[in-house]
Amino acid sequence: MNHKPLKSVSVILGILVVLALPFIIRDRYFQHLLVLSGIFIILTSSWNLLAGYSGLLNLGHAAFFGIGGYSSALLALKLGISPWIGLPLGGLIASLFGILIGIPSFRLSGPYLAITTIGFSEILRLVAMNWVDLTRGSLGLYGIPPLTPFKFSEGLSIKFVSEQNFYYVVIVFAALTLGLMKKLIHSEFGISLKSMREDEMGSESIGIDTSGYKLTVFMISAFLAGFAGALYAHYIRLISPEMLTLGETFTVLTMAMVGGLGTLFGPVVGAVLLTFLSEGLRFLEDYVKIDIRFIIYGALLMATVLFMRNGIVGLFQRKTPLKKGSEG
Amino acid sequence: MAKAILQGIDITRWFGGLCAVKKVNFSIEAGEIIGLIGPNGAGKTTLINLITGYYTPNSGRILYGDGNIAGLKPHTINKLGIARTFQIVRVFPRLTVLDNVRSGLVDRRERPPWRVAFDSITKGPDGQMTGRAGEKRALELLESVGLSGYRDERAENLPFAYCKRLEIARALATKPRILLLDEPSSGLNPREQNDQIAMIRKINSQGITILIVEHVMKVIMDISHRILVLHYGEKIAEGKPEEIYKNEKVVEAYLGGEASAHG
Repeated sequence: MNHKPLKSVSVILGILVVLALPFIIRDRYFQHLLVLSGIFIILTSSWNLLAGYSGLLNLGHAAFFGIGGYSSALLALKLGISPWIGLPLGGLIASLFGILIGIPSFRLSGPYLAITTIGFSEILRLVAMNWVDLTRGSLGLYGIPPLTPFKFSEGLSIKFVSEQNFYYVVIVFAALTLGLMKKLIHSEFGISLKSMREDEMGSESIGIDTSGYKLTVFMISAFLAGFAGALYAHYIRLISPEMLTLGETFTVLTMAMVGGLGTLFGPVVGAVLLTFLSEGLRFLEDYVKIDIRFIIYGALLMATVLFMRNGIVGLFQRKTPLKKGSEG
Repeated sequence: MAKAILQGIDITRWFGGLCAVKKVNFSIEAGEIIGLIGPNGAGKTTLINLITGYYTPNSGRILYGDGNIAGLKPHTINKLGIARTFQIVRVFPRLTVLDNVRSGLVDRRERPPWRVAFDSITKGPDGQMTGRAGEKRALELLESVGLSGYRDERAENLPFAYCKRLEIARALATKPRILLLDEPSSGLNPREQNDQIAMIRKINSQGITILIVEHVMKVIMDISHRILVLHYGEKIAEGKPEEIYKNEKVVEAYLGGEASAHG
């Protein structure tokens, strides 16, 4: 409590740095990576809500991401709906699919749920591949409109095509997501989720309707993931069924685990670190001629599991000295 | 005779070819402490699981209040006012002792999950049980089971005996009218057992009806107003502790049948 002023000063400094980043880093490619990090913060946080806080190992998270992206893109392309409306709509449609995948979770847990969710996302990927009339199959959707500019007056408008401007959109939504996550976690809802994660039977004995909580948390998580997918679609403006692959889910999984599963800021650390790391090491691909990302992810995951079970954030979280026989 | 708060009528539960609970009848009055005993495999835990909704009876009824609660979900039954502990503790290992109890304090009776999520977003921390009010109440409960000194310890670091007490505090947090204790004294030393007896009496004195399954005869004989005896899924005796001591069927069940060190 004595450190309160110090804490608020560092928080304000942190916010200023985040706001000033695009001016510090003028390189457009790095700005692009910042935008991607922001999108992955939202996506990874949403996965963390399921796997980290509710004990629901969803390995089909890319499905929500993809549904959000495809929905918003198609709504804009076919119906001319403004991307600003497309963002929440993409989230809502993903949320509906969240119900669909949430229902099997009533009875399945652990690896069984994981396998079911993989199946779910693979089915959606195949639909995206083969429903050529709608999705143009593996060619993907291109020419997706960017976020509509804000027009203040004739001649004065803010466009969201440049990395720099999109960055601010993304960090606003990433901050909102983190604010929402904080509310959801440090609350009656959060403690119910954690109880369910820790012991499902035990939690039912104190009145926790586990099915209801699972459904609710799947819907919230899917909404956020869908929203992130829609942001991605209107930023990259070219999406393909790649968005729905298992690789995408594993990217998110690795980010959450390395950053710190079941912590609020773990996904932030993981998303930024892995986005920059995997891009920074891309030059190696010239030598090995394969997608280097997953080698890095695999190595990082192993290192995390072996040396820092609670991820990077977990390393800084030990308030009380460890007792003998207890682990991180 | 006072009106029964909980009543079982011909409760039967089969597991494959095994009848774990066979046409069991019982009636519990408000404010009573009822002991439930029987040799290993007699169906005691099964009966608790049937009452609390973890199993559904194949036939029979469980009357509570105005209705039949047989077959309702565990969380619904808890919301109706029946709380329980487990034979093998089911505390929340990676939550703190305080949070274990706080979780039980969250009022979920009138609020479906989406509503709890909504309230969590809109209400400030002090409008919720995770805020100060909840902390105060949780500490009172921890105090009553003698665990307030461990509030910030993770439950996984507690010794087994403390976990048992933590479970009781967590169950009490849900404001039950009936508390079902499944072997609360197992693994306790004699001194701890005495503390346990005092604690259960205190809970009972607050008007909470108690059904207790126990192998430790000292505890059960000391504490129970009435005792039910199960053997191979059937109720073989019912009565005051001193009657049960003398009951031939009970003595036979414990000594004549399978070897039992608890008699």
